[in-house]
Amino acid sequence: MKFWERLAKLDRRYIYFMLLLVVVVPLIFPFKLRPKPMPPVEKLFNYIDTIPEDKCLVISVDYTPDTEPELHPMAIALLRHAFARHKKVGVLCISLLGLGLAQDALSTVSNEFNSIAKTYADSIIYGRDYVFWGWQTPPLVPILGMGENIAQVFPVDYYGNKTDTLPIMKKIKNYNDVAILVSIAGSAVPFWYITYAQTSFGVRIGAGSTAVQAADFYPYLNSGQVTGMMSGMKGAAEYEEMVESRLNVEGRRKATDAMSSQTAAHIWIMITIILGNIGYFALRRRKK
Amino acid sequence: MKVRLPLFLVLICGIIGALPFLIPHGIVQSFDNEFRNSVLRIIGAFSLVLGLGSIIRHHMDKIKRKREHWEYSYILLITLLFTAIIGLFGGVEGTGRLPTHIGNFHFDIQTIYMYMAIPLAATMFAMLAFFMASAAYRAFRARNFEATLLLIAAFIMMLGSVPLSSYIFPKLPGFAEWILTVPNTAAKRGMGFGIALGTLATSLKIILGIERGWLGGTK
Repeated sequence: MKFWERLAKLDRRYIYFMLLLVVVVPLIFPFKLRPKPMPPVEKLFNYIDTIPEDKCLVISVDYTPDTEPELHPMAIALLRHAFARHKKVGVLCISLLGLGLAQDALSTVSNEFNSIAKTYADSIIYGRDYVFWGWQTPPLVPILGMGENIAQVFPVDYYGNKTDTLPIMKKIKNYNDVAILVSIAGSAVPFWYITYAQTSFGVRIGAGSTAVQAADFYPYLNSGQVTGMMSGMKGAAEYEEMVESRLNVEGRRKATDAMSSQTAAHIWIMITIILGNIGYFALRRRKK
Repeated sequence: MKVRLPLFLVLICGIIGALPFLIPHGIVQSFDNEFRNSVLRIIGAFSLVLGLGSIIRHHMDKIKRKREHWEYSYILLITLLFTAIIGLFGGVEGTGRLPTHIGNFHFDIQTIYMYMAIPLAATMFAMLAFFMASAAYRAFRARNFEATLLLIAAFIMMLGSVPLSSYIFPKLPGFAEWILTVPNTAAKRGMGFGIALGTLATSLKIILGIERGWLGGTK
């Protein structure tokens, strides 16, 4: 009797301790798991891969440090993809706390490419290949304003340069020059882009979301309002896999590295649920 | 006047906000453009100042009255002051007028953000994993048919959202994707229609001054 009771009422400290172990140990000694890309990620990758010369990719870094482990690898993978294909990139933030993360993603990926570049043309140059517009408030101003004139919404970039003096801005005037806008967020920001930017200007929207929020995007994905999406760390790992396997772009794959830890944590949670149910049914049978 | 002026402002702003989506005429559109790019930005800037002022006043008051945990208010105010100075005068990565490094020790705004703000916020969020694990163990009991269905769906989703599943059961990730694409979408769309209609009704009631709860008070 006591055994079943214990099983049904495990002390939470054991659950916490085991969870800590199953998260930390695979991070130190990872086991390789290559994720198989799912259709929403493939759609996003394929669309970005075929962006025409005269259009650009816009990444809206709308996540904050709390969701950094899940969402930051998405921004890095997207930038690797765009830079490898020499697509023009514009980056902005709707969330103020996203600024530092966007800056980190841009400097990390541009340094990766520039460290192996052999010519000036191969290099990734600020103002020529990408631009970081920074942050503007309130959200409706950049979301709708970019449909009319991006330089008017962001008169200066994140570094204080006059936006309209940058060479890249000669080709990026408004949403007409944007092939797809990918909003990466752990909040409702991608919905604002769908509601305002897409319905008013018809710009294509891609999404990167936390796993817990992903279910909310599926109605938009099915209707075609979202072109493609990455959901959670697995989505980021799938995009990393596609960038590496199809474009031979190598770099640290943070999401893929964390997959072993996430797998072990999920399995442990499932085990605790099974144990709890065994205890529950055993107790119920005895009570009868 | 205290009641009528806010009600009048809400009515005007509500109409200004809705009209550009309904009338594509040039005059309405250019007015909307001006309203957004000038008026909204100024209001946004004011709200930042208001927020900053409120947080400083709140913590100053807390220190003055020595309320519970007043010592932490000092940390907040000092941190706020230092990061604001570094951010304003130090540039993004220490490229500003203010020197933001002593030898190899850097304290520019990007370094502070990367090595203090991110770990602190990520630590707070990481705690969720422990609470979720404990809550899942306690709550996921197959007590009846509905709970059993929920349990099965949760198992499929948990397994489907890790790459291991495609090695053990190759069709499981596809099945998890189907759950999201079909039953989930159906439920979300139904809820979405309900929420949209509710939002529309509530917005109209607020704009027309029928719903006045947001004004506060009892009258």
